[in-house]
Amino acid sequence: MSDLPANILVVDDEKPIRRFLRASLQGHGYTVFEASNGQEAVSEAAGRRPDVIILDLGLPDMDGTEVTRQLREWTSVPIIILSVRNSEGDKIAALDAGADDYLTKPFGIGELLARIRVNLRRAAKSEQDEPVFTHAGLQVDLAHRLVSVNGALVDLTPTEYDLLRLLVHNPGKVLTHRQILHEIWGSAYEAESHLLRVNISNLRHKLEADPNRPEYILTEPGVGYRLGY
Amino acid sequence: MFTRFRYLQSLGLVALASLLGVPIRALLHPTNLVMLYMAAVVISAFFLGRGPSILASFASVLAFDYFYVDPRLSFTVADTEYLVTFTGLLVVGLVVSGLAARVREQLAALRDREIRVEALNDLGRDLTAAFNLEEMLRAVVSHVSQTLSREVVLLIPRDGMLEQRAATPNFSLEPSELETARWSFENGEAAGIGTDHFPEARARYVPLKTMQGVMGILGVRPQPGGAFLNLAQRQQLEGFAHLAAMAIERARLAEEANRAQVLGEAEKLQTALLNSISHDLRTPLVSIQGVLDTLLEVEEGGENAVVLDQPTRLDMLENAREETARLNRLVENLLDMTRLEAGTLKLRLEPGDLQDVIGSALAHLDEPYRRRPVNVSLAEKLPLIPMDFVLMEQVLVNLLDNAAKYSPPGAPVEINVSCHNNEVLLRISDRGPGIPPDELEHVFDKFHRVTIPGRVKGLGLGLSICKGIVEAHEGRVWAENRAGGGSVFNVALPLEHIKRGIV
Repeated sequence: MSDLPANILVVDDEKPIRRFLRASLQGHGYTVFEASNGQEAVSEAAGRRPDVIILDLGLPDMDGTEVTRQLREWTSVPIIILSVRNSEGDKIAALDAGADDYLTKPFGIGELLARIRVNLRRAAKSEQDEPVFTHAGLQVDLAHRLVSVNGALVDLTPTEYDLLRLLVHNPGKVLTHRQILHEIWGSAYEAESHLLRVNISNLRHKLEADPNRPEYILTEPGVGYRLGY
Repeated sequence: MFTRFRYLQSLGLVALASLLGVPIRALLHPTNLVMLYMAAVVISAFFLGRGPSILASFASVLAFDYFYVDPRLSFTVADTEYLVTFTGLLVVGLVVSGLAARVREQLAALRDREIRVEALNDLGRDLTAAFNLEEMLRAVVSHVSQTLSREVVLLIPRDGMLEQRAATPNFSLEPSELETARWSFENGEAAGIGTDHFPEARARYVPLKTMQGVMGILGVRPQPGGAFLNLAQRQQLEGFAHLAAMAIERARLAEEANRAQVLGEAEKLQTALLNSISHDLRTPLVSIQGVLDTLLEVEEGGENAVVLDQPTRLDMLENAREETARLNRLVENLLDMTRLEAGTLKLRLEPGDLQDVIGSALAHLDEPYRRRPVNVSLAEKLPLIPMDFVLMEQVLVNLLDNAAKYSPPGAPVEINVSCHNNEVLLRISDRGPGIPPDELEHVFDKFHRVTIPGRVKGLGLGLSICKGIVEAHEGRVWAENRAGGGSVFNVALPLEHIKRGIV
C-alpha cells in the first residue's frame, strides 16, 4: 500500500523515542514534527496542522488526556495514544476525551505504521460517506440495512445491526465500552456492560468464521472494541 | 413510684395478718396473734427493705391494738400489760428490719459485683476471640458502653500521634477533647471529668497502661444529663481499661512478629529476584547488545571490516527482536508479581465473556507460539462471569505460553471450557512431558521451574502470577497430569462473587 504524503506530529518527552520514531517515519515518507510536552504539542498542532498526532500519555507538564481535550476543541485530527500496559484507565480517559486509537509500549514500528495508515484512511473517508462498507468478506449496505458475509446475507437483530453500524462508521477506531453503550443504549446504560458483551458475542457468532479468533470485531482488552480494518 | 409501691405492699402484709387473725381469734390468746404480725414485719424486712418494714412494725402495733386488744375496734387499751407486748413487737420489728435490710444490701452488693466480674469476663472472652486489633477495639467500645451506659471512644497512637480508632456512634471528638486525651496519654494519668486535670472536659479519659507503657486512651462520656460514675463503676472502668491495655499490647506484639516474618519473606523474594534478574534479564540484553555491536561494525566498515551476508544479518536482527520480546515479557511478569506481592493489584471486575478472553489471549501470544495449533471447545451458552478482563487475559496468555513452551513444536494445545454448578472450569491441556507427581503442588510457587535439563528459560513467575490473579478472583487453579501424556492446567472461576456481590 502506498503511503500518503502526510505530516505527523510526535509528542513524547523521551528523546530516544522521538529519535527512532522520526527516523522510521521519515523513512516511510512522512514529514515529522516533534513536541516534548503538552504545551508544545498544542501549539505545534495549531501551527503545523499535522494529519496525525502520536501522543504519549505521560507528559511532564500535562496529562495526555488533557492535551487531547484541548485539541478536540478545534480539530478532529486523528490522535494515536502511546501508553504503558496496565493503565487501561488512562487509555479509556484519553479515548473518551476524543483520541482515536492507542498503542501499548513497547510497540513494533510495523504496528504503528498500520495504525497511522488506518487513521489517515478513515480521516480521508469521513469526508465522503459511502452507502456500502466493504472489508474482506464483510459487506454492510447502510442504505438498505443489509449485512452479508462472503456473499451470504446475515440476519441481525436491530441492536446487533446498530452495534455493527456504529463500528462500521468508525472503521479501525477504538470505541470504548462507555462510548458504545452510550451510543446504542443511551446514557442511562453506560454501566450495563453485560448488554454489550452479550451482543458482541452474538454478533461474532453470526459474522466471524471462528468466533474464538475474531477478525472483524476485535477486542481491545479492558478498553473496548474496534472494527478490524 | 416503685418505693411507694413497696410501702403499700408492707401495709398490705399487715392487713393480711389482721385478716388471718379473725378466724382464729377465738382459739388463741391475743398475745400469740402477735406472731402473725411478726411474720408480716419479717417478710417486709427481707423482701421490701428497711423503710417498708419499719412502717410495717408501727402499723402492726396499731392494728394489733385496734383489732385484737380489748376494747376492740378502738385504740384505747384496757389492760396496760399490753403495753409490754406493743413495745416487744415494735423493738423486735425494728431490729429484724435492720438485720434483714443489711443482708439484703450485702446481697445486692454481691450481685452487683458478680455482674461487674461477669462483664469483665465477657470482655476478656471477646478480646481473646478477636481476630485482629480492629475487632478488639470494637469489643472494648461495645462492652464499656453497654455496661456503663456511656458514650465511649478509644484512641490509639499511630506513628506517635494519638488518633481515634473506635467509638460509639454518637461520640464526636472535638479538638479540645483530643487535647485532653493527648495530655492523659503523655502523662499516663486520667484526665477530664471528675479528675484534677481538665475537669471541664466533656468526658473522662483513662490511660491504658501496661508494663511497656501507655497503649492508648479510653474515653467515657456521660449521656446528656446523666449521672457521673459511682465508685463501683469507676473501679469497673479501671478493670476494663486494664483488660483493653493488655489486649492492645498483645495485638501489637503479634503485629510486630508478623511484620518481621513478612519482612523476612520479602527479603527472600528479593534475593531470589536479584539472582534471577542477574541471569534471566541480562541474557537477552547480552544478545541484543551483541547483535547491535556486530551490525554497527558492519556498517562502519574500515580496515578490519566485518563482512556478513544479508541472510546472516537478517537472522541476527530476528534474534535481537525475539530477545526484546522476551525481555518485555520478563519485565511485565516482574511488574505483575510486585503488584500482587504488594497487594496493590486492583481488580476491575465486570461481567466478562470467556470466549472473548480466549480470542484476545490467542491474538497476544508471543511470536514463536502464535502459530501453534490451539483447539478451542466451549460449552454452549456460557454465562458471563465477573472478571478483570486484562488480568484474566494475562492468566490465559501465561498458561498458553507455558503449554507451548513445554511441549514439542506443532503439538496441539487444547482449551476446554465447561460450566459446573456455580463455577466455570477452564482447562488447558498440552502434550508436553507432563509434571513429576511430587512437583504438581509446587508448579505455582514463585521461581519454581520444573526441572527439565537445558530446556526452558524464564523466571518461573508466570504460573505464580496466574495463581495470584485467579485467587484474587476467588477462583482456584491447579495442575494435573493428562491421560496419554502431557499436563492439564485447570482454572475454576466462580459464577458470582460472594464477597463482593457482583454477578
